[in-house]
Amino acid sequence: MTREDQLPRTSMTISALAALILAIVPLPYPLDVLRPDFLVLVVLYWSILAPRTGGLALAFIAGLALDVLHGIVLGQHAFALTLMAAWATQVRLRVRVFSMLHQSLTIFAFLAGYQFILFWIDGATGNPVTFLSRWFAPVIGALIWPALAGLLNRLNDR
Amino acid sequence: MVAFRSADNSGRQSGLLLRCILYCLLAIGLMILDKRYDQLSGIRRALSVVVYPLQVAITSPFEAWDWLHESLRSRDALRADKARLEQELRMARFRLQRYEAMETEVRQLQGLRENTTGVAHKFIVGDVMNVDVDAFRARVMVDKGARDGVFVGQAVLDEGGVFGQVARVSELTCEVILISDATHAIPAQVNRNGLRTVVLGSGDPNHLKLPYVSTAADIVKGDLLVTSGLGGVFPAGYPVGTVIEVRRDPAASLAEVDVQPTAALDRSRLLLFIWVDAAK
Repeated sequence: MTREDQLPRTSMTISALAALILAIVPLPYPLDVLRPDFLVLVVLYWSILAPRTGGLALAFIAGLALDVLHGIVLGQHAFALTLMAAWATQVRLRVRVFSMLHQSLTIFAFLAGYQFILFWIDGATGNPVTFLSRWFAPVIGALIWPALAGLLNRLNDR
Repeated sequence: MVAFRSADNSGRQSGLLLRCILYCLLAIGLMILDKRYDQLSGIRRALSVVVYPLQVAITSPFEAWDWLHESLRSRDALRADKARLEQELRMARFRLQRYEAMETEVRQLQGLRENTTGVAHKFIVGDVMNVDVDAFRARVMVDKGARDGVFVGQAVLDEGGVFGQVARVSELTCEVILISDATHAIPAQVNRNGLRTVVLGSGDPNHLKLPYVSTAADIVKGDLLVTSGLGGVFPAGYPVGTVIEVRRDPAASLAEVDVQPTAALDRSRLLLFIWVDAAK
């Protein structure tokens, strides 16, 4: 696979762009609430698999893109995503050898942490979203993690 | 199980904390600048232009489909459409006949009362983009921006009535907050008797709330609520919603009133951005 001087930059960029598109594709009403944070999942994947490819810069830029697309204050998603990506990078060696179930649970922790930071900043800036449904996204995200990681592994192999 | 192949170089582990702190401080700085000092509208605008192609890319397949759908319609259907539209235009013209005279009259009367609410004198039509802004906030993205003169706080209508107001403007697009957003409030009055109140959004596009009406107030099912012009964002006299239910609990001091918006908040594709000139 990828050697040290051959970082999978292309696959990373493609997957991040695809995830960004999935983040704003319109979905009918009950589905849009269930939409997982695709871009967050992709950033977590690259933070765990190859932190040097994009590193925290990827997390920061992806977060900034999300901020522009649907943030209340600029920097909100960037902050949350950077923190979670740093955490994922820190524990990546352990996460890699986890079983699928275990991995999904870990991803759930990252996603829930991400959502909690967003929730907190929303509240602090005076735009609270207190619907319970906002916590569906981390659950769905953790559920699709095995499929997504498998897909990205395939993409990465080529 | 999902096995990760190793593409890792663990050598540069030490800088992680430092870089994390750096990026986080940068993000916090952005947030403070944006929220507290409102200094970033330029940066936000520039960044919005960067993501604009993405939004267009997403919205164009839907438009192409609409176009295809339209161009494959039968001649008969188009003729029926034309007949219907002509009929509607006739009706509208008929209603409009007295409008000019009435507008002058209203202005004169308003002048007497030293009222400052005006009448919309200019408008542009914007198209709702097929882009999801936020599942939890009633907002839509529209393809008109600062380039077209759209400004923050501008009133937005659809053919049924008040739709919302502009929350954020970038160069080519803008974000409109719907009157059904849970954080939105609009000053209104009952058209029948002038009773003033405030209509709040509920988060549900088919339902508005009227929380500040006393049980003794004269409001009944079927009443039309129109904008009162107080607050200065919305011009006076545009329809907001219809009262569908009034529940009066004798023990409570406030009545519970359910309102259905007259604008098709979850369906409208074409929106009117209006400019109001204050009647002097």
